[in-house]
Amino acid sequence: MRSNRLALAGGILLALLALAAIAAPWLAPHDPLQVNLPAALLPPSALFPLGTDQLGRDVLSRLLYGARISLTIGFIAVGIAVLVGSAVGAAAGFYGGWVDAVLMRLVDTLLSIPTIFLLLAVIAMDPGERLTALGALPVAGPMFRTIFAAVDPQIVVLMAVIGLMSWMGVARLVRAEILSLKEREFVLAARVLGASPWRLITTHLLPNAAGPVLVSAALGVGGAILTESVLSYLGLGVQPPTPSWGNILNEGRVALGVAWWLTIAPGVCILVTVLAFNLLGEGIRERIYRQ
Amino acid sequence: MTSYLLRRFLALIPVLLWITVISFGIIHLAPGKPTDAAMSFNPKVSLEARQRMEKLYGLDRPLHEQYLKWLGRLIRLDFGRSFLDDRPIGDKIAERLPVTLSINVASFLLILGLAVPLGVAAAVRPGGRFDRFTTVLVFLGYSTPSFWIALLGMALFGVTLRWLPVSGLHSLDADAMGWLSRWWDTARHLVLPVGVAAFVSLAGLSRYMRASMVDVLRQDYIRTARAKGLPERRVLFHHGLRNGLLPLITILGLALPDLIGGSVIAETIFSIPGMGRLFYEAVMSRDYPVVMALVTVGAVLTMLGNFLADVAYAYADPRIRVGRPT
Repeated sequence: MRSNRLALAGGILLALLALAAIAAPWLAPHDPLQVNLPAALLPPSALFPLGTDQLGRDVLSRLLYGARISLTIGFIAVGIAVLVGSAVGAAAGFYGGWVDAVLMRLVDTLLSIPTIFLLLAVIAMDPGERLTALGALPVAGPMFRTIFAAVDPQIVVLMAVIGLMSWMGVARLVRAEILSLKEREFVLAARVLGASPWRLITTHLLPNAAGPVLVSAALGVGGAILTESVLSYLGLGVQPPTPSWGNILNEGRVALGVAWWLTIAPGVCILVTVLAFNLLGEGIRERIYRQ
Repeated sequence: MTSYLLRRFLALIPVLLWITVISFGIIHLAPGKPTDAAMSFNPKVSLEARQRMEKLYGLDRPLHEQYLKWLGRLIRLDFGRSFLDDRPIGDKIAERLPVTLSINVASFLLILGLAVPLGVAAAVRPGGRFDRFTTVLVFLGYSTPSFWIALLGMALFGVTLRWLPVSGLHSLDADAMGWLSRWWDTARHLVLPVGVAAFVSLAGLSRYMRASMVDVLRQDYIRTARAKGLPERRVLFHHGLRNGLLPLITILGLALPDLIGGSVIAETIFSIPGMGRLFYEAVMSRDYPVVMALVTVGAVLTMLGNFLADVAYAYADPRIRVGRPT
């Protein structure tokens, strides 16, 4: 059936991408950060399968490492969105009344602000600087410093910011599901047996609401990757020299006339990745609505 | 109907207030004080001068007082002055709003004109060749980064084929043209930005149109109409489309924030002097008053658009007015 084929195609594509990203250190023919000026702007060849950029760095290697960054940011951002959105949606749906009113008002307000505006406005506040300042705190400081030594604070910021822009949709979905599930017999039975609200929500309600959330998550990772690439393209996302598909496109822009590979290759990567997630999401959606 | 609309309108007011709170809060969460941008270029600025500056901008007053003062000015449409060039922000917005609005409205109409026929044609024969073909196109459109399409469009149509100009709103010799040529010149400049802005939204909307039409065409009243022997055309358009368009109004309302935000990318890439690019430049130069003003204006425009969508929906679907379930 078509839906199975869609989901399968998306899933296989994703598996390949994930494998390529994980295996990047072994697959990449060169060091993605290795500057090699005499070899600048070379077209694709046997030595450099996707050519080189202005600094002579191998594009294929940079794309492979960029895949790691983009996929990680995508997954974690959506993870945050699902966590926050589920919590808010569950609270609103379960408790109803003024809790519901206040939370949904917040959701509506945040949804009214164009995402890009909010995103850019937040990034403009140099949150990376703020985060690094956390390293100076008396007790927790050393912990933050070790975290930020391993993970660039800018990337943490990106994951948090993109995630926090997307939780609203999940919240609405979860709330709608919980509202309809609340009246079902198994919930009433659990209530009668004395289940606490926490147990009701975590064990009974949320797992059954998982379907649409999964669809939203799959599509959301695609969206998060697109958003990250836009931000990196505008210079506000992943900073060079760390490779990200968006910033490779940005650097390649000035050489558009002479080095087409710098524009085509990262764009195709983004397209294929987002396509895979969209196929997966739509496939899951058709699966759920079949039942 | 008036009472329904009045209720919807009143519901907007708390959201509006929250939007102002969020815009205000964001800026004051920025590291350093808002005046740092003005002061930081001159390290010899003394402490007294800093304090005087802060007093001038009212930054030494408690936060809620600052917020209320800002809100008061906002209601009178006084957005303050830009840090960058000290011009009143209201002027800057007034210059650029028409540009952004015309691009968005043009995209909007383009999307409508293309998505509706595509969706209907795909729904008429679900699973058929046309449907599958458009589904593939839709998925591709969904997944393509808009800025990449913009770049490719620029490279193909602007550089290689030289059919269309790639930046700005007017050619350099625009002043020397007659009004007709100037109009055509502007139109040529708008083709790429509008096309790019419409491209990605088109995919989603045509898919919704298809889903909505498929639902409608399954209904009993369609079967009745066909059984009565009505020409297929009348069944499709008079009975089917009228009902199929309804969910689209809601979706269009929800797509407004993306349209306003999407112009940020298109305007930045094509160097169009609109609100989107003003926002981007303000963000890059940390021009906080402009950022605040634009976040508020953008959100208000979105809400107005949603409200208009509500009005249109109430007008189109009598069940909403009477309060009956759909």
